[in-house]
Amino acid sequence: MTQRNILCRRLGSVALLVTLLATSCPRHVRAQAPTPGLDLFAGLSVNFRDVYYFRQYDFLINLTPGFRWTMGHDWQLTGQVYVPLVNQYENYGNGFKVNNFALSKELRWGTLYAKASAGLFSMNRYGLDLKLFLPLADWFALEAQGGYVGWLYTDTYWRITKPDRFLGTVGGDIYLSKWNTQLRGVAGLYLYRDFGAEAEAMRHFNHTTVSVYGRWSDTYGYDAGFKVIVMLPPYHRTRRVVNFRPASNFRLAYTVMTELSGNRIYKTDPEENERDGWFSRHFLLWGSHTMCPDFVINQKTTEE
Amino acid sequence: MRRHLVLLLLAAAALMPLSGSAQQYTGLSGLLHVPSAEMNHEGDAFMGIHFLNKAMTPDTGFLLAGQKYDTYDYYISLTPFPWIEFSYMCTKRKSAESEQLWDYHRKDRSASLKIRPIKEGRYHPAIAIGTNDFGTGIFKKNRTDVQLYFFNYYIAATKHLNFGGNELGLTLAYRHFFRGYNAKWNGLVGGVTFRPAFFPQARAIVEYTGNEFQVGLDALLWRHLRLQASLKDFKYPNFGLCFQLNLLGRKYTY
Repeated sequence: MTQRNILCRRLGSVALLVTLLATSCPRHVRAQAPTPGLDLFAGLSVNFRDVYYFRQYDFLINLTPGFRWTMGHDWQLTGQVYVPLVNQYENYGNGFKVNNFALSKELRWGTLYAKASAGLFSMNRYGLDLKLFLPLADWFALEAQGGYVGWLYTDTYWRITKPDRFLGTVGGDIYLSKWNTQLRGVAGLYLYRDFGAEAEAMRHFNHTTVSVYGRWSDTYGYDAGFKVIVMLPPYHRTRRVVNFRPASNFRLAYTVMTELSGNRIYKTDPEENERDGWFSRHFLLWGSHTMCPDFVINQKTTEE
Repeated sequence: MRRHLVLLLLAAAALMPLSGSAQQYTGLSGLLHVPSAEMNHEGDAFMGIHFLNKAMTPDTGFLLAGQKYDTYDYYISLTPFPWIEFSYMCTKRKSAESEQLWDYHRKDRSASLKIRPIKEGRYHPAIAIGTNDFGTGIFKKNRTDVQLYFFNYYIAATKHLNFGGNELGLTLAYRHFFRGYNAKWNGLVGGVTFRPAFFPQARAIVEYTGNEFQVGLDALLWRHLRLQASLKDFKYPNFGLCFQLNLLGRKYTY
């Protein structure tokens, strides 16, 4: 058999596979790349703690308006401020706080996916961040994150320090599509210069993900807990140039221990969550992105 | 009076569109105080609150001036797969500084887990193992410095029999509490449930906790509101309600 025949067979097989995939997937499963536009959204950040003997709970509730400018070619500019509504935390300022203002670009080299971000991230950090994701199979992928950041406080007063720390984690993900279950393990150097490791098991449901996790930090010890991520309706949306909507998700994280400094890392996207992962759905079709999408963009019908 | 209360509970169950299968004060499936090998549906999530009579709480840790007091708990639970359930529960506690009736300063956190390795078959019962209040404290060398008020583990078997559309559930379990002050509930425990054909959402329960009998009813209203009421030792009322949602979007009547 000549090389040309082999090549033709392979190309034919690939074309057939692509055709089958394109025609067999329900329309709503296929990734829908967002058209360029501006999203204005708002949600709530609800925090509560139980650390005092005579007071059961302290609450910290922030309004979290933000924007996402999808610029096309996988560029995004995001921003978000925290507006305190209820503040019973003594060590938390009462001013407006810029939680995110970052420029991001998603890249792909072969099967290696990357997301580079620069700007102000959560946890009062600014700097550069790079995320890498390498799917080796439908069920297994490697991931890494690295950052070089400084401190930028934007509350009742502003203060900034020079970038002074590198941090980074590496790990792997296993996705069991039959059960929509994801196992994730990472280890590395975290934000407060502690070395640690964490493992998480996620079960993805319709519009909701529940996970349990355990983690260890050489400085802050063991911790465990659970997380609940709920994607917020409306699930059918119409895409325009400017879109007003609620925040994409509500995320609840519970920790057994009261020490909150171990295994911490910032978020570079104001709507980043464990269900969606780091990348856009249309960009990386792996893991929970192979499930039916949470948000379906209504297609415009062509008028006769 | 006791008989009137039982009749009242039975009448309430007959009138309401009820359903349920829960050791509801923990958020897990089961009977009332006794665990069973029944499981909630895959994807079921519960969020609820339960009034606990002082007869339901341990004899230590829930005392004020040497006297036990009534309290309540709240919980969330999930059945991620048909063979595993877990829940997180907080039980409110008073302290020596509590002055008002509702002055509950403190809370006891606990987690529960149940696994069913053997599903119920035509001839054999379902078998489940589980634990309540298994905290990190069980791994500590000095176990006296942790509370573990409700810590117990168990193995349970449940078989359902159907006749004319009615369902009779038989449960037998062996349970062991970690703390000595809960030893009265150790050993063989079990109960019987009855789900009538004309109203399968309802369930009547009679159980033996190892120390006393407990009777009760549980129910599901409008597919999302689950209720349970019981009388421990035929005289101490306990009751609770929870919001129930299937995260896979499935609709179950009970």
